[in-house]
Amino acid sequence: MEVNGPKIYLRINGMNVITQTTVASFVVMVLLCTAGYFLGRNLKKRPGRMQVLTEKGVAMLYNLVEDTMGKHNAYWTPYIGALFLSSIGGSLIGMTGILRSATSDVSTTITWALMTSFLVWGCTIKNSGLKNFLKGYINPLNIVSDIAQPVSMAFRHFGNIMGGGVLMSILYTGLAGLSSLVVGAVRSNGWVVTGVTALAGAALLFLGFKKRKMMFKIFGAVFAGIAAAAALELLGVFGEIPILEVGIPAVLSLYFDIFSGGIQALVFSLLTMVYVGMACPPPTSQK
Amino acid sequence: MLVLAEVTQFESLVGVNPWTALFTFCNMIITFLLLKKFLFKPVKKMIDARQKEIDDMYRDAEASRQEAARLQADYEEHLSSARAERDEILADAVSRARKREQEIIADAKNDAAAIRTKAEADIAQEKKKALNEVKNEISSISISIAQEVVEREITASDHERLVSEFIGKLGEAND
Repeated sequence: MEVNGPKIYLRINGMNVITQTTVASFVVMVLLCTAGYFLGRNLKKRPGRMQVLTEKGVAMLYNLVEDTMGKHNAYWTPYIGALFLSSIGGSLIGMTGILRSATSDVSTTITWALMTSFLVWGCTIKNSGLKNFLKGYINPLNIVSDIAQPVSMAFRHFGNIMGGGVLMSILYTGLAGLSSLVVGAVRSNGWVVTGVTALAGAALLFLGFKKRKMMFKIFGAVFAGIAAAAALELLGVFGEIPILEVGIPAVLSLYFDIFSGGIQALVFSLLTMVYVGMACPPPTSQK
Repeated sequence: MLVLAEVTQFESLVGVNPWTALFTFCNMIITFLLLKKFLFKPVKKMIDARQKEIDDMYRDAEASRQEAARLQADYEEHLSSARAERDEILADAVSRARKREQEIIADAKNDAAAIRTKAEADIAQEKKKALNEVKNEISSISISIAQEVVEREITASDHERLVSEFIGKLGEAND
C-alpha cells in the first residue's frame, strides 16, 4: 500500500494542469449548481416537501451566519453557504471511489483559506481604512498570525480529510491481508474445513436470530462469508476474495468520511465567519 | 492495474499546485455566484416574503381585533346611554301622564260641579215656574169657582188679590 497525492491527468510543459482534485472540485461545482438551480426553481408561497427542506437548510445557514457574524453580516450567507457546501461536497466526493476528495489536497484548502484571508483584509481596509490596517502590523506578531491563520485552517481541513482517507485505505489493506490469510487457511484445508466453517456460521446465525444476540449474528455472518469465499475460491470462480472488507469499513467510513467531512466543513466555515465577522463590526460601533 | 500504475503519475501528498489552486478559486467563485443567484437569493426572498405576509396578517388581525373591541365598547356605551335615555323618557312620560290624569280628574270634578250647580239652578227655576203656573191656575180656577158660588158679590180684581195672598201664605208655609 502506498499513499499518493492526486492523480495527474494532464501535463503541459511539466505543469500538472489537470489533476484528480481539479476534476473532483469541478464535479462538486456542477453537482452543487445543478442541485441549487433545481431547488431554487418554482418557489411557491405554499411550499412542497422539497421546498420546505430547501428553505429549512437555507434558513439554518442564515441563522448560523447571523448568530456568528451578527445580523448586519447576513449578506455573507451565500458565500459561507457555498464554502460550506463545496467543502462538504469536496470531502464526500471521495466516497464515490472514482474521485479523490477535493479537500484532501492542500491546494484546495489553502485556496479557500487564502480567500478567507483576503476577505478579512479587504473588509478591514474597507471598514477601518488602509492606515489603520497597516498600523496593525506595527506589532510584527500580527504578520505571523496573518500567515499562520490561513495555513492552520488549510492544514486542519486537509489533514483531517486526508488522514481519514489514509486510515481508511490502511484499514482496507489490512483487512484484505487478514482476509486472504483466513480464507487461505480455510481453503487450503479443503472442503471439510470449509464445510465446518459454513456450518458453524449457519449455527451462529441461527442462534443469533433466535436469541436476538447481535454478536452471534455478526460472527455467524463472518464465518458464513469466509466459508462462502473459500468455497468460491475452491471452485475456481474467483481468485482472492477480500471478504473481510465487507461491513467493517462501512462503520468507520461513517466517522472518517461523513462525520469528519461535515465537522471540518463546519469548522472551516465557522472560522471564516468568525474572522470575517471580526473584520466587519456592527455599524453602530463605527459611529 | 499494473499497466495503469505505470502510466498514472501522482502528485506529492502535501504540495500546492497553483493550477489546482486557480481552478479551485474559479470553481468556488462560480459556485458562490450561481448558488447565490439560483438558490440563496430566491429562497431568502421567498422566506422573507412569506414572513412579511404572516406579519402583515398578524398585524391586520390585531388591528381588526382592536377595531372590534373599540366597536363593542362604543356599542355598549351607546346601549347604556340609550337605556338611560329610555328610562328618562319613561319617567317623564309617567310623570306627565300623572299630571294629566290629575288635570283631567280635576276638570271632570269642576265640570261635574258646574253641571250640578246649573242643574240645581234650572231645577229651582223650573220649580218656581211650575209653582207660578200652579198659582195662576189655582187662582183662576178659584176665581171661576167663586164667581160661580158668590155671583158677583165682590169684584173679580178683589177676589184675585185675596186668593193670591192666600196662596202666597200657603207657598211660604210650604217652604
